[in-house]
Amino acid sequence: MDIFGRAIVGYPAARTVTTIVVDTCAGQAGQALEAAAIASLELDVQVVVVGDESDITDQLNKIAHDAERLSVLHAPHVLPDGVSAQTVDEVAPRSSLAVGLAYTATQPDAVFISAGRPSILIHYATQSLQRIPSVGRLALAAVYPTLHHRGPNDDPFALLLDVGATAQCTGDHLVTFAAMGAAYASKISGVVRPRVALLSNGRSVSAAPLSVQDADLRLQRHELAFDYIGTIRGDQITVGEADVIVTNGFTGDVVVRTLEGVAATAEALLVKAQDRFQWRLGMSILGGGIDRLREFTNWENYGGAPLLGVQHPVIVTQSNSGLRAFLNAIRLGAKIVRLEVIGSIGAGVEALRNLERAFHQDQST
Amino acid sequence: MMSDDNHDQAQADAADVSARETEPGTANVSTSESAAKAELEVTEPSDVAPQPEPPDRVLHLRWDLDKTYLRTEFDTLKDLYKTFRQRAEDKVSIAGARTLLRALVEPRDDVLRRVTFISGSPNQMRKVLTRKLALDGIEPDVFILKPNLSNLLRGRFRALRGQVGYKLKALLHSHMAARQVDEYLFGDDAEQDAFIYSLYGDMIAGRVDGTALAAILNTARVYRRDVDEIMALHSKLYDSGDDVRRILIHLEARSPLDRFIPYGGRVVPIYNYFQAALVLAEAGLIDMLATRQVIDAMGAAGYTPARLASSVQDLLRRGVLRQQTVKTLEHELSGVDSVSGRPPSLFIRKFEDVISGMETLARPPPPDNHEINYIGLFHAARFRRKRHRLLGTGIRILD
Repeated sequence: MDIFGRAIVGYPAARTVTTIVVDTCAGQAGQALEAAAIASLELDVQVVVVGDESDITDQLNKIAHDAERLSVLHAPHVLPDGVSAQTVDEVAPRSSLAVGLAYTATQPDAVFISAGRPSILIHYATQSLQRIPSVGRLALAAVYPTLHHRGPNDDPFALLLDVGATAQCTGDHLVTFAAMGAAYASKISGVVRPRVALLSNGRSVSAAPLSVQDADLRLQRHELAFDYIGTIRGDQITVGEADVIVTNGFTGDVVVRTLEGVAATAEALLVKAQDRFQWRLGMSILGGGIDRLREFTNWENYGGAPLLGVQHPVIVTQSNSGLRAFLNAIRLGAKIVRLEVIGSIGAGVEALRNLERAFHQDQST
Repeated sequence: MMSDDNHDQAQADAADVSARETEPGTANVSTSESAAKAELEVTEPSDVAPQPEPPDRVLHLRWDLDKTYLRTEFDTLKDLYKTFRQRAEDKVSIAGARTLLRALVEPRDDVLRRVTFISGSPNQMRKVLTRKLALDGIEPDVFILKPNLSNLLRGRFRALRGQVGYKLKALLHSHMAARQVDEYLFGDDAEQDAFIYSLYGDMIAGRVDGTALAAILNTARVYRRDVDEIMALHSKLYDSGDDVRRILIHLEARSPLDRFIPYGGRVVPIYNYFQAALVLAEAGLIDMLATRQVIDAMGAAGYTPARLASSVQDLLRRGVLRQQTVKTLEHELSGVDSVSGRPPSLFIRKFEDVISGMETLARPPPPDNHEINYIGLFHAARFRRKRHRLLGTGIRILD
């Protein structure tokens, strides 16, 4: 029925265009908006920028954009420093995160992108967006370049989840994360049967937490749509032994920050090395290779971390994201919609649940 | 080589600008020097009919052709050649432009409606362009094309690319006199239309005097003969009336909006002809039925309700459009069964979506600017063009 109560029949199916909702209140100043403006000019998407309408309009006047493909969603409240997920509804009920995610929930094929605080974002995502059926907790998935590449496109990125959405997980949560991660990697990297591993402190699960032992047991006993390869250690992540690495949000956050810290330290050492002439000479010879390495490990190229478990794609970029990070996040969001990744995740989780139900029925009979 | 004067005479003999024979008592084009007419190759109704009484009210619609009315590519030599060779049947008008123009010339009230096309396309394309307009059901009263061949033969190479001298002359030559004239000018951001149209409007409004005009033409490096001609026309038309109501600039190149702020509220950059229709509907030039027809035409060209809704919001945020006009359009849409093959509720919902939360953000319309710094704007545009040539402005999406 339409808004006049008349039946909508006899109209040809309209082409749906992906809506990318971009939070402009976080990240490097003005960069989210500039990325949104570029996306409106270059990509076949409908961009909605969220933030203070007056500020956004003033800034948009100064940059080339396509107003046919870009609209503004007014969010008058600014998130104060130090606000927590418990108090945010009282302090800033109409922040860009609250308004943007509520809008995303109303639009089919909409993606939400933000460099805002992950804890607040997850709070609103849980509140506004419907969960994928059978998903108990959400997982934030980060990608990291590895030595071993995968898929028909030689994708260098492994997927690590959860990296901060659910600090403490049960075995059931980890099993769900494995199914979600495998479905995501299978679509994005094109790997037919992704190799999935649980993160632990060794190949044996005997010394692992109970949740990991439980998840390992449950993943071992089914014929899954992905290859479960058991547990791997932290040093095996960067080698690329697994395409999807599953862990709880606390450990994942520690791991991903450690990896970033190592990369930042290596970069700082390279800069420091330039103090000496011989090193500078050597590095100028290696210049192209070092630049390629920098590009390879530059987090801005990854397009942010998708939040898995909700019915709409949500991409969380780092708090200091610049133009490149936002643009790649927008591209990733459009790709997730185009490849119908959310539907695949739902199907993947449902298939695993069916296997578990069948197993329990067999056990009971 | 033929002297300038002889050449002008030859051109005057071959004058081929089509001007529809106007019925006595309908229009009066301002007079000008015969040499000047020859330069532009304009045949005016005054040449073929006795001078009639000026009409009471005239709506004069001035259109650029390429990238304003027609979808044209001439950024490369290959594009230019392709455009030159294109048949009338293969030329495509910009979505909604044809429908809007036809609605604008639809007889209403007792206002004489007159259409002038002034294009930078060469004279040699007249036949095909006239045919294209005829196919679209449009018969311009005056159709002025650029004498590029004669410019080339006379070594006036700057005039091949330059638009200021040519278009200003054409605008002045085709200026109409009446008790009340409302001029609406349509151009694009690929050339200097906002600059030229504003300058023309300020000249006839008496805001740019002869000294200022001479300095501007000197800065724009207009040829001496053209300067003399423009100055002569300026002396006749100076302060003849503040007739230019709106200058609508189609943002073909998607230029940033702040580039047009110095021209004041009279210049309205538009991303599409739905926006133009809304602006003109608010000005009372067309009704909401015509606006809906423009939506239909644009829907047929692939515009989604979301794109049109974003266009509405853009105008609202700029203060160019009032929310009341959108409500009136929604009312018009609610009365029909289908809009471009889709349920009207789809459009209305999208319009409401983009307006929601903006009720308290009513913005005043941009103020007029009666003291435009034309020389500064010309230099700024030249700097941008040079930078574009040196660095390019293509925005790359990074991998």
